[in-house]
Amino acid sequence: MSLWTLILQRILLMIATLFCVAVLTFLIVNVLPGDVAVAILGDQSTPDQVEALRQSMGLDQPILLRFGDWFGGVMRGDFGTSLTFGRPVGPMIWGRLLNSATLGVICLLVMIPVSILLGAVAAVTQGSVLDRAITAITTFLFGMPEYVLALGAMLIFAIWLQWLPGAAMVSPGENLFTQLDVIVLPVLVISLGGATYIIQMTRASMIDALGTAYVRTALLKGVPRWQVILKHALPNAMLPTLVEIGLSFGALLGGLVIIETIFNFAGVGQLMVMSVQSRDVPVLQACVLVIAAAYSVGSLLADIASMLLNPRLRT
Amino acid sequence: MTTLATDPQAARSSRILTYLRPAEIYVVFLLLLIAIGPYIAPYSAYDFDPASSLLKPSWAHPFGTDEFGRDVFSRILAGARPTLLPAFASAVLGIIAGTTTGLICGLMGGRTDQWIMRGMDVLLSFPALILAMLVVTMLGGSTTILVFAIALIFWPRSARLIRSAALDIGKREFIEACRARGEGMGYILFREMLPNLRSVVIVDLALRCSYAILLSASLAYLGMGAQAPTPAWGLMVKEGQQFIQFAPWLTIFPCLTVALVATGTVLLGENVRRRFAISQRLAR
Amino acid sequence: MSGAENAVLRVNDLSITYGHGDHAVHAVRNVTLSIAPGEAYGLIGESGSGKSTVAFSIMGHVVGGRVSSGSIQLDRRELLTMSPREWQDVRGNRIAMVYQDPMNALNPAFRLGAQVAETLIRHRGMSREDAWAKAVDLFRQVRLPDPEQLVNRYPHQISGGQQQRVVIAMAIACEAQLLIMDEPTTGLDITTEAHILELIADLRQRLGIAILFISHNLRVVAQVCDRVGVLYAGQMVEEGPADAVLQKARHPYTMGLNGSLLPISGEVRRLKPIAGRLPDLRQVPQGCIFAPRCAYATDQCRTMDPQIQVVGKRHVSRCMFSELVPPADRFIEMGSRHAPGDSVAPQLSVVDLDYSYARRGMPLPFLARKARAKALDRVTLAIRPGETLGIVGESGSGKSTLARCIAGLRSPDRGAVRLEGRRLEPLAGQRSREARQRVQIVFQNPDSSLNPLRTVGDIVGRPLGLYNVVPEEERRKRTIELLEMVNLEERYMTRYPRELSGGEKQRVNIARALGADPEIIICDEPTSALDISVQASVLNTLIDLRTQKDMAYVFITHDLGVVRYIADRVAVMYGGSVVETGRTDQVFSSPGHPYTEMLLNAIPDGTRGRKALLEVEDSRPKPIQGVGCVFADRCLQYRGRECDEVLPPVRLGQDGHMVNCHRALASA
Repeated sequence: MSLWTLILQRILLMIATLFCVAVLTFLIVNVLPGDVAVAILGDQSTPDQVEALRQSMGLDQPILLRFGDWFGGVMRGDFGTSLTFGRPVGPMIWGRLLNSATLGVICLLVMIPVSILLGAVAAVTQGSVLDRAITAITTFLFGMPEYVLALGAMLIFAIWLQWLPGAAMVSPGENLFTQLDVIVLPVLVISLGGATYIIQMTRASMIDALGTAYVRTALLKGVPRWQVILKHALPNAMLPTLVEIGLSFGALLGGLVIIETIFNFAGVGQLMVMSVQSRDVPVLQACVLVIAAAYSVGSLLADIASMLLNPRLRT
Repeated sequence: MTTLATDPQAARSSRILTYLRPAEIYVVFLLLLIAIGPYIAPYSAYDFDPASSLLKPSWAHPFGTDEFGRDVFSRILAGARPTLLPAFASAVLGIIAGTTTGLICGLMGGRTDQWIMRGMDVLLSFPALILAMLVVTMLGGSTTILVFAIALIFWPRSARLIRSAALDIGKREFIEACRARGEGMGYILFREMLPNLRSVVIVDLALRCSYAILLSASLAYLGMGAQAPTPAWGLMVKEGQQFIQFAPWLTIFPCLTVALVATGTVLLGENVRRRFAISQRLAR
Repeated sequence: MSGAENAVLRVNDLSITYGHGDHAVHAVRNVTLSIAPGEAYGLIGESGSGKSTVAFSIMGHVVGGRVSSGSIQLDRRELLTMSPREWQDVRGNRIAMVYQDPMNALNPAFRLGAQVAETLIRHRGMSREDAWAKAVDLFRQVRLPDPEQLVNRYPHQISGGQQQRVVIAMAIACEAQLLIMDEPTTGLDITTEAHILELIADLRQRLGIAILFISHNLRVVAQVCDRVGVLYAGQMVEEGPADAVLQKARHPYTMGLNGSLLPISGEVRRLKPIAGRLPDLRQVPQGCIFAPRCAYATDQCRTMDPQIQVVGKRHVSRCMFSELVPPADRFIEMGSRHAPGDSVAPQLSVVDLDYSYARRGMPLPFLARKARAKALDRVTLAIRPGETLGIVGESGSGKSTLARCIAGLRSPDRGAVRLEGRRLEPLAGQRSREARQRVQIVFQNPDSSLNPLRTVGDIVGRPLGLYNVVPEEERRKRTIELLEMVNLEERYMTRYPRELSGGEKQRVNIARALGADPEIIICDEPTSALDISVQASVLNTLIDLRTQKDMAYVFITHDLGVVRYIADRVAVMYGGSVVETGRTDQVFSSPGHPYTEMLLNAIPDGTRGRKALLEVEDSRPKPIQGVGCVFADRCLQYRGRECDEVLPPVRLGQDGHMVNCHRALASA
């Protein structure tokens, strides 16, 4: 099968999966036991209040019709109206999405090169003190919940040393680059959390690559070791690592939700937590969809990149 | 891609056992904490004492007290149960669902396998925390729901692992020999395959336990799952955070506890994974 | 041992150890050898002999182990004390290497030209353009087709034989003084192997390069080398001129190896395998290392280290006895076999079997479906009671798929398997218990065919319970009997597969199949993963059982020597089709199909200076299955359009000899 067929197949698969994600999100919200209206109003609501809300939200309509309405809206960029703010959800999300995306991309730009470097160094010096130190620290950091890292960083750098602001009060859609200092701590914490995984994966792939017969061939051709590592081992080790980076987007996005909340950063994640607390169902649904879509697109890009890099798919 | 050590000899090597020992001691310590934590706590975890509100750490209160005058140390001890038990329960539940699904897919193959795995892919398209938040919000914040939500997250991940391990073993010729002899499905599954998958399931369980602690701690921090006044560690961090400026001990000590327990279980999981030589890539 | 004055390579008293302390494995012990300029030296050994360790130590690449003593000199220059920088100038430049597994030896991410050019740029200081031009030239020298195009391709786009040619091109790029070839043809199909061996001989003649050739295959070594050394358990046991060592071996181990070799011409005689197994190299026993397995060993052999003895012109042996007379029973006449005649009705038959690999995955819209390649194409065969039918073919011929279809592990697209004329259900699970019991299967891979968590007793006893062959209280007794039938003692009952050697595992496999008391056993390459001395004893066991129990075998193999040894009739498969069937002697003496002729020509016969193999010069398009002859693109008797477009007719010879070819049979 040619490369382009594979990529096309992968894109079609993503679209199909995203549709299923939308269906599942809708089902969790609307069909599972537990009435949306009750979920919104809380346990102390009276049946009359619930009934009134059901009617105003159109919950008495047949399920398929409701799904059609909602999904049609989503396709047009209309995510409904927020229950708390009384405003359309779409515009609320777009500004925040820009903020989150900027933060996420900065994190990736910091995290990926550093992690690959550290992972490769650990693999090349396998068994040395340096390797053990890198492995031990990454395993330790991997076991830390993001909020522990975030609160620790906040306590040290914002409260005790007072070097950096402890909160990033940016409004949705504001240009982040005018106040870079507010995102230093969030970027640091997210990158620390995400890097551990990429470092471990790079190390593992690199160790695999260093043990292959073609690396041995290159060495026994008389190619210097550093050149063998850079030219022969690293490019081949990048393939599996790329796929892993794609898969780690999920954890990154989860981390983003917590970090945005802690640092008061106006992103989609913070909006989602706010919608959870205020039981603002249309906003919650929209946030879940947007984040899942971002995840799918991220891993799609990583997959396509690895397909393009894969010599076995070249003709 | 799978490297499954089915050689029990390797697992029994005494050198590896000594390497494992600290981790095993650690598990015993955690279990002890769950079992007797509340009973050895010097103060009540729930009773208010306005007189000793927000005290700094001292000999009387090693981790200080919170705004209601409750001893933080006692609350952390009492919090082991509400924090760890749901985590373990969800890991076990997720593994049971995942192993069953993975085995069915690995054994049946073909269309059944394809459709089930595509369904699993849909579940996998939600970042873990997001799906858990959605489910807990919509179904109510009880601990039971939390357990189910985390199990739901582990289900596809576990299924994928077990499926690939089952496919790997299913390809071996001793299973083909069973088929050629005409052995029944039950015999092949339970007598020939499952014993060979044991190590994978154990590794999966160990790793899922550590992720479950991480996930439930994160959810508790976001206000999901256990509710006040339960002394769940994540919840304590959330409640203490508002005083971070002038009473940082309310944040620091629960944070440290979560970090220690979580990294400890992650290390344990990694050790078990290495002991059974399961690929790092597969086990996530 | 002995060596020329002006040797290119001189290895002296080399010892290599892996691990430390009590776990240290003494893989190579006091090996001495030397290679003269232009000489081809063959290093023979079975698995665990340390031959590859010696090869890689000459390249300065001993991973996880260390050279504990000795010296390696290239042109009187010590290699072992060199700095990493000095090694870089030797590797690929003065010593170059050809590897066992060419697919993995080439970097998947680099174009073929770049991999060859890298050596030239490094050692010859060539510019990139010059190096690529030279790469094209080298590709031409190793007779790769269309070199200008091929340099731009990637390793996965060419065949295994072509990959090995690229590795050879890389090795000869800098005109090294010494070429080390580590099992260069192992894993390649026999016709490909023949062409690679011919290329090596040709390059030797043209370049005058010295070669260290490492192999487990005595015939291959004999064909390539001037002198050979035989390694056993890390020790050189015999060395001398190739002809002398292989025809007049003096060390009992070499004699044993020769005795295990399957003859490809002349009378078929019973093999005399080597008993026992390789010693544990963690505790090297006192005395002669081969004594525990040696038929001639005396008490002296077990206590004293044997010294090297000169036994002929430049021929030495590490044995106490300078003259050993091979025992008279070395070749026992094979029990005369009366293969059932044509008139006997077949017991098992395969009729018009078609099998294609199903497209995996879910069909998605807009994507073209891949054409399904047929693994089996209208295969028809018959096995008469008590007969052994050998099925020979190279990789991809469909022989293993056929075995799995007969055993009910694959469901054919079309056609049927019949047992005594009754049609069997396609899958084993649907067949009657009686049908399953009568046809058993033995698999190829000894490591994966036994459940690692069950004891030998459990494994062998299982069919007894399943088919209820004997009452429950007699099962244990019967299991022990089964083990004895395959020459394993009762003590094996409680052992786990990991405690067994490869040959013992295959014996357990055979015992398990016997447990069902079958009439037919399908053997799918049961000896291809084993060393030749072990292969010989497993084959002998199978032959003895066949006589004892009057069983029929369907014996699948790629090795013509094995098929000639064991089979009454042979079916030759190519590209999913049976191209020729007939009595074994008939097929070997007067092959009817051009492919069979090609296979027989390709067997290394152990003599040097043999006639050049013919190759197809022009590249013909790959035939389309089901339209013309599957072999049309490689056939030396190609007749043009007829072969491409018309299905070859069946030509009948004497005694059921059948050939699918457009060429008429010579004898008919």
